[in-house]
Amino acid sequence: MSKRRSGRAAVTGIGVVAPNGLRTDAYWKSVREGLGVLDLITREGCEHMPLRVAGEVRSFDPAALIEDRFLVQTDRFSHFAMAAAALALDDAGLGGEPADPYSVGVVTAAGSGGGEFGQRELQKLWGKGSKYVGPYQSIAWFYAASTGQISIRGGLKGPCGVVASDEAGGLDALAHAARAVRRGTDVMVVGAAEAPLAPYSMVCQLGYPELSTLDDPDRAYRPFTEKACGFVPAEGGALLVVEDEGRARERGVPVRGVVAGHAATFTGASRWAESREGLAHAITGALDEAGVAPEEVDVVFADALGMPEADRAEALAIADALGAHGTRVPVTAPKTGFGRAYCGAPVLDTVAAMLAMEHGLVPPTPNVFDVCHDLDLVTQHARPAELRTALVLSRGLMGSNAALVVRRGDDSAR
Amino acid sequence: MITTEVTFDELAALMKQAAGITVDPEELKDAAESPFDSFGLDSLGLLGIVGELENRYGASLPPDSERCRTPREFLNLVNSTLTAGA
Repeated sequence: MSKRRSGRAAVTGIGVVAPNGLRTDAYWKSVREGLGVLDLITREGCEHMPLRVAGEVRSFDPAALIEDRFLVQTDRFSHFAMAAAALALDDAGLGGEPADPYSVGVVTAAGSGGGEFGQRELQKLWGKGSKYVGPYQSIAWFYAASTGQISIRGGLKGPCGVVASDEAGGLDALAHAARAVRRGTDVMVVGAAEAPLAPYSMVCQLGYPELSTLDDPDRAYRPFTEKACGFVPAEGGALLVVEDEGRARERGVPVRGVVAGHAATFTGASRWAESREGLAHAITGALDEAGVAPEEVDVVFADALGMPEADRAEALAIADALGAHGTRVPVTAPKTGFGRAYCGAPVLDTVAAMLAMEHGLVPPTPNVFDVCHDLDLVTQHARPAELRTALVLSRGLMGSNAALVVRRGDDSAR
Repeated sequence: MITTEVTFDELAALMKQAAGITVDPEELKDAAESPFDSFGLDSLGLLGIVGELENRYGASLPPDSERCRTPREFLNLVNSTLTAGA
Protein backbone atom coordinates (compact mmCIF):
# COMPACT_ATOMS: atom_id res chain seq x y z
CA MET A 1 0.00 0.00 0.00
CA SER A 2 1.18 3.47 -0.86
CA LYS A 3 2.65 5.65 1.85
CA ARG A 4 1.40 8.81 0.23
CA ARG A 5 -2.32 8.29 -0.21
CA SER A 6 -4.06 11.28 -1.66
CA GLY A 7 -7.61 10.02 -1.27
CA ARG A 8 -8.19 10.84 -4.93
CA ALA A 9 -9.03 8.19 -7.51
CA ALA A 10 -6.80 8.66 -10.54
CA VAL A 11 -7.23 7.06 -13.94
CA THR A 12 -3.85 5.75 -15.06
CA GLY A 13 -4.81 3.33 -17.81
CA ILE A 14 -7.29 3.42 -20.70
CA GLY A 15 -8.35 0.54 -22.94
CA VAL A 16 -10.84 1.19 -25.73
CA VAL A 17 -12.65 -1.20 -28.06
CA ALA A 18 -15.05 1.02 -29.97
CA PRO A 19 -16.70 1.11 -33.41
CA ASN A 20 -14.57 4.15 -34.29
CA GLY A 21 -11.28 2.87 -32.91
CA LEU A 22 -9.74 -0.27 -31.48
CA ARG A 23 -7.22 1.59 -29.37
CA THR A 24 -7.28 4.79 -27.37
CA ASP A 25 -5.32 6.85 -29.89
CA ALA A 26 -7.46 5.66 -32.82
CA TYR A 27 -10.63 6.34 -30.82
CA TRP A 28 -9.53 9.86 -29.91
CA LYS A 29 -8.54 10.66 -33.48
CA SER A 30 -12.03 9.64 -34.71
CA VAL A 31 -13.76 11.51 -31.88
CA ARG A 32 -11.69 14.64 -32.41
CA GLU A 33 -12.40 14.63 -36.15
CA GLY A 34 -16.08 13.93 -35.62
CA LEU A 35 -15.84 10.84 -37.79
CA GLY A 36 -19.16 9.09 -38.38
CA VAL A 37 -18.88 5.30 -38.52
CA LEU A 38 -22.54 4.37 -38.14
CA ASP A 39 -23.47 1.94 -40.87
CA LEU A 40 -25.90 -0.76 -41.92
CA ILE A 41 -25.70 -3.77 -39.65
CA THR A 42 -23.76 -6.64 -41.20
CA ARG A 43 -23.49 -9.10 -38.33
CA GLU A 44 -24.73 -12.59 -39.19
CA GLY A 45 -28.45 -13.17 -38.78
CA CYS A 46 -29.17 -9.48 -38.17
CA GLU A 47 -29.54 -8.14 -41.69
CA HIS A 48 -33.29 -8.63 -41.98
CA MET A 49 -34.26 -6.86 -38.75
CA PRO A 50 -36.15 -3.56 -38.63
CA LEU A 51 -33.20 -2.14 -36.69
CA ARG A 52 -30.94 -1.27 -39.60
CA VAL A 53 -28.16 1.03 -38.46
CA ALA A 54 -25.68 0.60 -35.60
CA GLY A 55 -22.08 1.10 -34.56
CA GLU A 56 -20.36 -2.23 -35.17
CA VAL A 57 -16.89 -3.00 -33.90
CA ARG A 58 -15.39 -4.27 -37.12
CA SER A 59 -11.91 -5.69 -37.62
CA PHE A 60 -11.85 -6.93 -34.04
CA ASP A 61 -10.14 -10.31 -34.07
CA PRO A 62 -10.69 -11.93 -30.68
CA ALA A 63 -8.44 -14.88 -31.50
CA ALA A 64 -5.49 -12.53 -31.95
CA LEU A 65 -6.03 -10.98 -28.52
CA ILE A 66 -7.46 -13.67 -26.26
CA GLU A 67 -6.43 -17.24 -25.48
CA ASP A 68 -8.59 -20.08 -26.84
CA ARG A 69 -9.67 -21.31 -23.43
CA PHE A 70 -11.19 -17.90 -22.66
CA LEU A 71 -12.75 -17.59 -26.13
CA VAL A 72 -14.51 -20.95 -25.88
CA GLN A 73 -16.23 -20.10 -22.63
CA THR A 74 -17.18 -16.46 -23.17
CA ASP A 75 -19.47 -14.24 -25.23
CA ARG A 76 -18.41 -11.40 -27.51
CA PHE A 77 -19.18 -8.85 -24.77
CA SER A 78 -16.55 -10.49 -22.58
CA HIS A 79 -14.11 -10.67 -25.49
CA PHE A 80 -14.38 -6.88 -25.79
CA ALA A 81 -14.03 -6.44 -22.03
CA MET A 82 -11.01 -8.73 -21.70
CA ALA A 83 -9.26 -7.04 -24.63
CA ALA A 84 -9.99 -3.57 -23.24
CA ALA A 85 -8.88 -4.54 -19.73
CA ALA A 86 -5.56 -5.84 -21.03
CA LEU A 87 -5.03 -2.64 -23.02
CA ALA A 88 -5.82 -0.54 -19.93
CA LEU A 89 -3.48 -2.51 -17.66
CA ASP A 90 -0.68 -2.26 -20.23
CA ASP A 91 -1.33 1.46 -20.59
CA ALA A 92 -1.02 1.84 -16.83
CA GLY A 93 2.27 -0.08 -16.82
CA LEU A 94 0.57 -2.92 -14.93
CA GLY A 95 0.57 -5.64 -17.58
CA GLY A 96 1.52 -9.18 -16.59
CA GLU A 97 1.10 -10.92 -13.26
CA PRO A 98 0.33 -8.52 -10.41
CA ALA A 99 2.92 -8.44 -7.62
CA ASP A 100 0.11 -8.73 -5.08
CA PRO A 101 -2.98 -10.33 -6.66
CA TYR A 102 -5.18 -9.20 -3.77
CA SER A 103 -4.35 -5.55 -4.42
CA VAL A 104 -6.16 -5.42 -7.77
CA GLY A 105 -9.94 -5.64 -8.12
CA VAL A 106 -12.38 -5.56 -11.03
CA VAL A 107 -15.79 -3.97 -11.46
CA THR A 108 -17.79 -3.85 -14.67
CA ALA A 109 -21.26 -2.70 -15.60
CA ALA A 110 -23.44 -4.73 -17.94
CA GLY A 111 -26.71 -4.00 -19.64
CA SER A 112 -27.60 -7.36 -21.10
CA GLY A 113 -24.85 -9.96 -20.75
CA GLY A 114 -23.88 -12.44 -23.43
CA GLY A 115 -26.85 -12.72 -25.77
CA GLU A 116 -25.07 -14.29 -28.70
CA PHE A 117 -23.55 -17.15 -26.69
CA GLY A 118 -26.86 -17.69 -24.90
CA GLN A 119 -28.80 -17.87 -28.13
CA ARG A 120 -26.41 -20.44 -29.60
CA GLU A 121 -26.73 -22.74 -26.61
CA LEU A 122 -30.50 -22.34 -26.33
CA GLN A 123 -30.81 -23.23 -30.00
CA LYS A 124 -28.95 -26.45 -29.19
CA LEU A 125 -31.37 -27.01 -26.32
CA TRP A 126 -34.50 -26.94 -28.45
CA GLY A 127 -32.82 -28.13 -31.65
CA LYS A 128 -30.95 -31.17 -30.33
CA GLY A 129 -31.74 -31.60 -26.65
CA SER A 130 -30.47 -30.70 -23.21
CA LYS A 131 -27.42 -32.94 -23.48
CA TYR A 132 -26.06 -30.75 -26.25
CA VAL A 133 -25.98 -27.55 -24.20
CA GLY A 134 -22.40 -26.76 -23.23
CA PRO A 135 -21.65 -26.17 -19.54
CA TYR A 136 -20.21 -22.70 -20.17
CA GLN A 137 -23.76 -21.56 -20.87
CA SER A 138 -24.00 -21.41 -17.08
CA ILE A 139 -21.56 -18.48 -16.96
CA ALA A 140 -21.11 -16.93 -20.40
CA TRP A 141 -24.45 -15.12 -20.77
CA PHE A 142 -24.35 -13.77 -17.24
CA TYR A 143 -24.00 -10.07 -16.43
CA ALA A 144 -21.05 -10.89 -14.17
CA ALA A 145 -19.13 -12.86 -16.80
CA SER A 146 -16.76 -10.08 -17.87
CA THR A 147 -15.74 -9.17 -14.34
CA GLY A 148 -15.10 -12.83 -13.58
CA GLN A 149 -13.11 -13.53 -16.72
CA ILE A 150 -10.98 -10.37 -16.44
CA SER A 151 -10.24 -11.38 -12.86
CA ILE A 152 -9.37 -14.99 -13.76
CA ARG A 153 -7.35 -14.10 -16.85
CA GLY A 154 -5.29 -11.47 -15.04
CA GLY A 155 -5.03 -13.35 -11.73
CA LEU A 156 -6.70 -10.40 -10.01
CA LYS A 157 -8.05 -11.35 -6.57
CA GLY A 158 -8.98 -8.00 -5.06
CA PRO A 159 -12.56 -6.83 -4.52
CA CYS A 160 -14.69 -7.63 -7.55
CA GLY A 161 -18.19 -6.59 -8.47
CA VAL A 162 -20.73 -6.04 -11.19
CA VAL A 163 -23.06 -3.09 -11.49
CA ALA A 164 -26.36 -3.88 -13.18
CA SER A 165 -28.04 -0.49 -13.00
CA ASP A 166 -29.01 0.21 -16.57
CA GLU A 167 -26.95 2.21 -19.06
CA ALA A 168 -25.95 4.76 -16.41
CA GLY A 169 -24.30 1.84 -14.61
CA GLY A 170 -21.18 2.59 -16.62
CA LEU A 171 -20.73 5.71 -14.49
CA ASP A 172 -21.89 3.95 -11.32
CA ALA A 173 -19.13 1.37 -11.86
CA LEU A 174 -16.52 4.14 -12.06
CA ALA A 175 -17.82 5.56 -8.78
CA HIS A 176 -17.74 2.09 -7.24
CA ALA A 177 -14.10 1.67 -8.29
CA ALA A 178 -13.18 5.11 -6.99
CA ARG A 179 -14.70 4.23 -3.61
CA ALA A 180 -12.82 0.91 -3.52
CA VAL A 181 -9.57 2.80 -4.13
CA ARG A 182 -10.38 5.36 -1.45
CA ARG A 183 -11.06 2.48 0.96
CA GLY A 184 -7.59 1.10 0.36
CA THR A 185 -7.56 -1.19 -2.68
CA ASP A 186 -4.43 -0.36 -4.69
CA VAL A 187 -5.83 -0.75 -8.18
CA MET A 188 -9.26 -1.24 -9.76
CA VAL A 189 -9.92 -2.32 -13.33
CA VAL A 190 -13.26 -0.78 -14.21
CA GLY A 191 -15.58 -0.13 -17.11
CA ALA A 192 -18.08 -1.74 -19.43
CA ALA A 193 -18.28 -3.32 -22.86
CA GLU A 194 -21.39 -4.59 -24.57
CA ALA A 195 -22.27 -6.77 -27.57
CA PRO A 196 -25.92 -6.05 -28.36
CA LEU A 197 -25.67 -6.72 -32.10
CA ALA A 198 -26.70 -10.36 -32.38
CA PRO A 199 -30.10 -11.72 -33.43
CA TYR A 200 -31.61 -12.50 -30.03
CA SER A 201 -30.18 -9.34 -28.46
CA MET A 202 -31.49 -7.23 -31.33
CA VAL A 203 -34.98 -8.68 -31.01
CA CYS A 204 -34.92 -7.74 -27.33
CA GLN A 205 -34.18 -4.14 -28.28
CA LEU A 206 -36.85 -3.86 -30.96
CA GLY A 207 -39.45 -3.13 -28.31
CA TYR A 208 -37.71 0.05 -27.17
CA PRO A 209 -39.69 3.03 -28.44
CA GLU A 210 -36.44 5.05 -28.23
CA LEU A 211 -34.69 2.91 -30.84
CA SER A 212 -34.05 4.62 -34.17
CA THR A 213 -35.08 2.41 -37.06
CA LEU A 214 -34.01 4.78 -39.82
CA ASP A 215 -31.82 3.14 -42.44
CA ASP A 216 -29.73 6.22 -43.25
CA PRO A 217 -26.57 6.19 -41.11
CA ASP A 218 -26.17 9.98 -41.34
CA ARG A 219 -29.73 10.68 -40.18
CA ALA A 220 -30.53 7.86 -37.79
CA TYR A 221 -29.12 9.45 -34.61
CA ARG A 222 -29.45 13.23 -34.39
CA PRO A 223 -30.18 14.26 -30.81
CA PHE A 224 -30.99 17.87 -29.90
CA THR A 225 -32.42 18.54 -33.38
CA GLU A 226 -35.98 18.66 -34.65
CA LYS A 227 -35.17 15.54 -36.65
CA ALA A 228 -34.35 13.53 -33.54
CA CYS A 229 -35.88 10.08 -33.95
CA GLY A 230 -34.26 7.94 -31.31
CA PHE A 231 -30.85 6.45 -30.66
CA VAL A 232 -28.62 4.05 -32.53
CA PRO A 233 -27.05 1.20 -30.54
CA ALA A 234 -23.40 0.28 -30.64
CA GLU A 235 -21.15 -2.48 -29.42
CA GLY A 236 -17.85 -2.17 -27.59
CA GLY A 237 -16.82 -0.04 -24.64
CA ALA A 238 -13.86 0.83 -22.50
CA LEU A 239 -12.04 -0.35 -19.40
CA LEU A 240 -9.96 1.91 -17.19
CA VAL A 241 -7.36 1.44 -14.50
CA VAL A 242 -8.08 3.49 -11.38
CA GLU A 243 -5.69 3.86 -8.45
CA ASP A 244 -4.89 6.33 -5.71
CA GLU A 245 -3.30 9.42 -7.17
CA GLY A 246 -0.48 9.36 -4.62
CA ARG A 247 0.34 5.81 -5.61
CA ALA A 248 0.30 6.76 -9.30
CA ARG A 249 2.73 9.61 -8.60
CA GLU A 250 4.99 7.23 -6.69
CA ARG A 251 4.98 4.83 -9.63
CA GLY A 252 5.74 7.75 -11.91
CA VAL A 253 2.88 7.07 -14.33
CA PRO A 254 0.84 9.81 -15.98
CA VAL A 255 -2.54 10.58 -14.42
CA ARG A 256 -5.09 10.77 -17.24
CA GLY A 257 -7.89 12.15 -15.10
CA VAL A 258 -9.33 12.13 -11.59
CA VAL A 259 -12.74 10.70 -10.76
CA ALA A 260 -13.89 13.53 -8.53
CA GLY A 261 -17.63 13.18 -7.98
CA HIS A 262 -20.64 11.03 -8.82
CA ALA A 263 -24.31 10.76 -8.04
CA ALA A 264 -27.14 8.63 -9.37
CA THR A 265 -30.92 8.87 -9.29
CA PHE A 266 -33.87 6.93 -10.65
CA THR A 267 -36.97 8.35 -12.32
CA GLY A 268 -38.66 5.40 -14.04
CA ALA A 269 -38.49 3.63 -17.38
CA SER A 270 -38.97 5.83 -20.45
CA ARG A 271 -40.34 8.66 -18.28
CA TRP A 272 -38.16 11.19 -20.01
CA ALA A 273 -39.86 14.36 -18.78
CA GLU A 274 -39.22 13.19 -15.22
CA SER A 275 -35.58 12.49 -16.04
CA ARG A 276 -35.07 16.28 -16.00
CA GLU A 277 -35.40 16.40 -12.25
CA GLY A 278 -33.48 13.16 -11.72
CA LEU A 279 -30.59 14.16 -13.92
CA ALA A 280 -30.41 17.64 -12.35
CA HIS A 281 -30.22 16.03 -8.91
CA ALA A 282 -27.47 13.70 -10.11
CA ILE A 283 -25.48 16.62 -11.51
CA THR A 284 -25.80 18.61 -8.28
CA GLY A 285 -24.83 15.58 -6.22
CA ALA A 286 -21.78 14.88 -8.35
CA LEU A 287 -20.64 18.51 -8.22
CA ASP A 288 -21.11 18.52 -4.42
CA GLU A 289 -19.02 15.41 -3.98
CA ALA A 290 -16.32 16.86 -6.22
CA GLY A 291 -16.40 20.22 -4.47
CA VAL A 292 -16.91 21.86 -7.85
CA ALA A 293 -19.06 24.95 -8.43
CA PRO A 294 -21.38 24.92 -11.48
CA GLU A 295 -19.30 27.66 -13.17
CA GLU A 296 -16.21 25.48 -12.91
CA VAL A 297 -17.63 22.89 -15.32
CA ASP A 298 -15.71 23.42 -18.56
CA VAL A 299 -17.44 20.86 -20.78
CA VAL A 300 -20.48 18.58 -20.61
CA PHE A 301 -20.61 15.18 -22.32
CA ALA A 302 -24.33 14.79 -22.81
CA ASP A 303 -26.39 11.63 -22.63
CA ALA A 304 -28.00 12.70 -25.93
CA LEU A 305 -30.71 10.08 -26.16
CA GLY A 306 -32.16 11.45 -29.37
CA MET A 307 -35.87 11.52 -28.38
CA PRO A 308 -37.25 15.08 -28.45
CA GLU A 309 -38.77 14.76 -24.98
CA ALA A 310 -35.58 13.25 -23.54
CA ASP A 311 -33.34 15.83 -25.21
CA ARG A 312 -35.50 18.64 -23.83
CA ALA A 313 -35.33 17.12 -20.34
CA GLU A 314 -31.55 16.88 -20.55
CA ALA A 315 -31.11 20.47 -21.77
CA LEU A 316 -33.37 21.67 -18.95
CA ALA A 317 -31.59 19.50 -16.37
CA ILE A 318 -28.26 21.05 -17.36
CA ALA A 319 -29.80 24.51 -16.96
CA ASP A 320 -31.48 23.57 -13.67
CA ALA A 321 -28.22 22.31 -12.18
CA LEU A 322 -25.71 24.74 -13.69
CA GLY A 323 -27.87 27.87 -13.86
CA ALA A 324 -27.01 30.44 -16.51
CA HIS A 325 -23.67 28.66 -17.00
CA GLY A 326 -25.67 25.76 -18.41
CA THR A 327 -26.44 27.65 -21.59
CA ARG A 328 -22.84 28.85 -22.03
CA VAL A 329 -20.79 25.76 -21.24
CA PRO A 330 -19.76 23.73 -24.30
CA VAL A 331 -21.82 20.54 -24.57
CA THR A 332 -20.90 17.64 -26.81
CA ALA A 333 -22.04 14.12 -27.70
CA PRO A 334 -19.34 12.32 -29.69
CA LYS A 335 -21.44 9.15 -29.54
CA THR A 336 -23.63 10.40 -32.41
CA GLY A 337 -20.72 9.34 -34.61
CA PHE A 338 -20.59 5.72 -33.44
CA GLY A 339 -23.69 4.93 -31.40
CA ARG A 340 -24.64 4.15 -27.83
CA ALA A 341 -22.91 1.08 -26.46
CA TYR A 342 -25.34 0.86 -23.53
CA CYS A 343 -23.25 0.63 -20.31
CA GLY A 344 -20.13 1.10 -22.42
CA ALA A 345 -21.39 4.47 -23.69
CA PRO A 346 -20.77 6.62 -20.60
CA VAL A 347 -17.39 4.95 -20.07
CA LEU A 348 -16.40 5.84 -23.65
CA ASP A 349 -17.65 9.37 -22.90
CA THR A 350 -15.48 9.48 -19.79
CA VAL A 351 -12.49 8.46 -21.91
CA ALA A 352 -13.33 11.17 -24.44
CA ALA A 353 -13.66 13.68 -21.58
CA MET A 354 -10.19 12.86 -20.22
CA LEU A 355 -8.65 13.04 -23.69
CA ALA A 356 -10.47 16.30 -24.41
CA MET A 357 -8.96 17.81 -21.25
CA GLU A 358 -5.54 16.38 -22.10
CA HIS A 359 -5.65 17.92 -25.60
CA GLY A 360 -7.55 21.12 -24.77
CA LEU A 361 -10.15 20.32 -27.40
CA VAL A 362 -13.91 19.81 -27.16
CA PRO A 363 -14.77 17.17 -29.79
CA PRO A 364 -17.80 17.73 -32.01
CA THR A 365 -21.19 16.01 -32.21
CA PRO A 366 -21.23 14.26 -35.62
CA ASN A 367 -24.32 14.42 -37.85
CA VAL A 368 -25.94 17.12 -35.70
CA PHE A 369 -26.40 20.57 -37.24
CA ASP A 370 -29.49 22.55 -36.28
CA VAL A 371 -29.72 22.43 -32.51
CA CYS A 372 -33.21 23.25 -31.25
CA HIS A 373 -32.40 23.57 -27.53
CA ASP A 374 -30.77 26.31 -25.50
CA LEU A 375 -27.39 24.58 -25.39
CA ASP A 376 -23.98 25.46 -26.74
CA LEU A 377 -23.65 22.13 -28.52
CA VAL A 378 -20.30 21.76 -30.27
CA THR A 379 -20.91 20.61 -33.83
CA GLN A 380 -18.89 20.00 -37.00
CA HIS A 381 -15.40 20.81 -35.70
CA ALA A 382 -13.55 20.35 -32.44
CA ARG A 383 -13.32 23.54 -30.42
CA PRO A 384 -10.06 24.48 -28.63
CA ALA A 385 -10.61 25.29 -24.95
CA GLU A 386 -8.77 25.15 -21.66
CA LEU A 387 -10.52 22.28 -19.91
CA ARG A 388 -10.00 21.35 -16.27
CA THR A 389 -13.33 19.86 -15.28
CA ALA A 390 -15.70 17.70 -17.31
CA LEU A 391 -19.21 16.56 -16.50
CA VAL A 392 -20.36 13.25 -18.01
CA LEU A 393 -24.08 12.46 -18.08
CA SER A 394 -25.86 9.19 -18.66
CA ARG A 395 -29.42 7.92 -18.58
CA GLY A 396 -30.73 4.43 -19.07
CA LEU A 397 -33.87 3.29 -20.83
CA MET A 398 -35.06 1.76 -17.57
CA GLY A 399 -34.89 5.05 -15.67
CA SER A 400 -31.42 5.41 -14.17
CA ASN A 401 -29.69 8.78 -14.30
CA ALA A 402 -26.07 9.41 -13.35
CA ALA A 403 -23.53 12.20 -13.45
CA LEU A 404 -19.77 11.97 -13.09
CA VAL A 405 -17.29 14.79 -12.55
CA VAL A 406 -13.83 14.14 -13.95
CA ARG A 407 -10.94 16.53 -13.45
CA ARG A 408 -7.85 16.86 -15.54
CA GLY A 409 -5.02 14.72 -14.28
CA ASP A 410 -2.17 17.18 -14.26
CA ASP A 411 -4.27 19.82 -12.45
CA SER A 412 -4.84 17.81 -9.35
CA ALA A 413 -1.13 17.11 -9.08
CA ARG A 414 -0.45 20.70 -8.18
CA MET B 1 -21.49 -50.38 -28.48
CA ILE B 2 -17.91 -49.35 -28.93
CA THR B 3 -15.08 -51.24 -30.43
CA THR B 4 -12.24 -48.94 -29.43
CA GLU B 5 -11.42 -47.18 -26.21
CA VAL B 6 -11.28 -43.44 -25.73
CA THR B 7 -7.62 -42.59 -26.20
CA PHE B 8 -5.35 -39.80 -25.08
CA ASP B 9 -5.55 -38.50 -28.65
CA GLU B 10 -9.31 -38.25 -28.43
CA LEU B 11 -9.17 -36.69 -24.97
CA ALA B 12 -6.68 -34.07 -26.18
CA ALA B 13 -8.95 -33.25 -29.12
CA LEU B 14 -11.92 -32.95 -26.77
CA MET B 15 -10.00 -30.64 -24.44
CA LYS B 16 -9.40 -28.38 -27.43
CA GLN B 17 -12.96 -28.56 -28.71
CA ALA B 18 -14.85 -28.27 -25.43
CA ALA B 19 -12.54 -26.08 -23.39
CA GLY B 20 -10.17 -24.39 -25.83
CA ILE B 21 -7.13 -26.04 -24.31
CA THR B 22 -4.28 -27.01 -26.58
CA VAL B 23 -2.35 -29.99 -25.29
CA ASP B 24 -0.12 -32.41 -27.13
CA PRO B 25 -1.57 -35.98 -26.84
CA GLU B 26 1.87 -37.39 -26.03
CA GLU B 27 2.36 -34.87 -23.25
CA LEU B 28 -1.09 -35.67 -21.94
CA LYS B 29 -0.18 -39.35 -21.88
CA ASP B 30 3.16 -38.71 -20.18
CA ALA B 31 1.53 -36.54 -17.55
CA ALA B 32 -1.57 -38.69 -17.17
CA GLU B 33 -1.33 -38.63 -13.37
CA SER B 34 -1.19 -34.82 -13.23
CA PRO B 35 -4.37 -33.01 -12.21
CA PHE B 36 -6.54 -31.56 -14.98
CA ASP B 37 -5.93 -28.14 -13.37
CA SER B 38 -2.32 -28.30 -14.44
CA PHE B 39 -3.43 -28.38 -18.09
CA GLY B 40 -5.76 -25.45 -17.47
CA LEU B 41 -8.93 -27.55 -17.59
CA ASP B 42 -11.54 -26.49 -15.04
CA SER B 43 -14.55 -28.40 -13.77
CA LEU B 44 -16.92 -26.93 -16.37
CA GLY B 45 -14.48 -27.91 -19.10
CA LEU B 46 -14.47 -31.51 -17.88
CA LEU B 47 -18.26 -31.46 -17.66
CA GLY B 48 -18.36 -30.39 -21.31
CA ILE B 49 -16.09 -33.29 -22.28
CA VAL B 50 -18.32 -35.74 -20.39
CA GLY B 51 -21.37 -34.39 -22.24
CA GLU B 52 -19.64 -34.66 -25.60
CA LEU B 53 -18.57 -38.28 -24.93
CA GLU B 54 -22.10 -39.20 -23.81
CA ASN B 55 -23.53 -37.78 -27.02
CA ARG B 56 -20.81 -39.36 -29.14
CA TYR B 57 -21.17 -42.87 -27.69
CA GLY B 58 -24.86 -42.72 -26.82
CA ALA B 59 -24.11 -43.84 -23.28
CA SER B 60 -24.45 -42.34 -19.82
CA LEU B 61 -21.27 -41.85 -17.85
CA PRO B 62 -21.35 -42.09 -14.05
CA PRO B 63 -21.61 -38.87 -12.01
CA ASP B 64 -18.07 -39.51 -10.74
CA SER B 65 -16.64 -39.03 -14.23
CA GLU B 66 -16.91 -35.25 -14.02
CA ARG B 67 -15.16 -35.33 -10.66
CA CYS B 68 -12.07 -37.21 -11.89
CA ARG B 69 -8.88 -35.38 -11.04
CA THR B 70 -6.47 -36.72 -13.65
CA PRO B 71 -6.57 -37.85 -17.29
CA ARG B 72 -5.64 -41.42 -16.27
CA GLU B 73 -8.41 -41.61 -13.69
CA PHE B 74 -10.90 -40.16 -16.19
CA LEU B 75 -10.02 -42.48 -19.08
CA ASN B 76 -10.04 -45.54 -16.81
CA LEU B 77 -13.51 -44.71 -15.57
CA VAL B 78 -14.87 -43.76 -18.99
CA ASN B 79 -13.46 -46.82 -20.74
CA SER B 80 -14.54 -49.25 -18.05
CA THR B 81 -18.06 -47.81 -18.22
CA LEU B 82 -18.24 -47.88 -22.01
CA THR B 83 -16.79 -51.40 -22.20
CA ALA B 84 -19.11 -52.69 -19.48
CA GLY B 85 -22.10 -51.32 -21.33
CA ALA B 86 -21.01 -52.97 -24.58
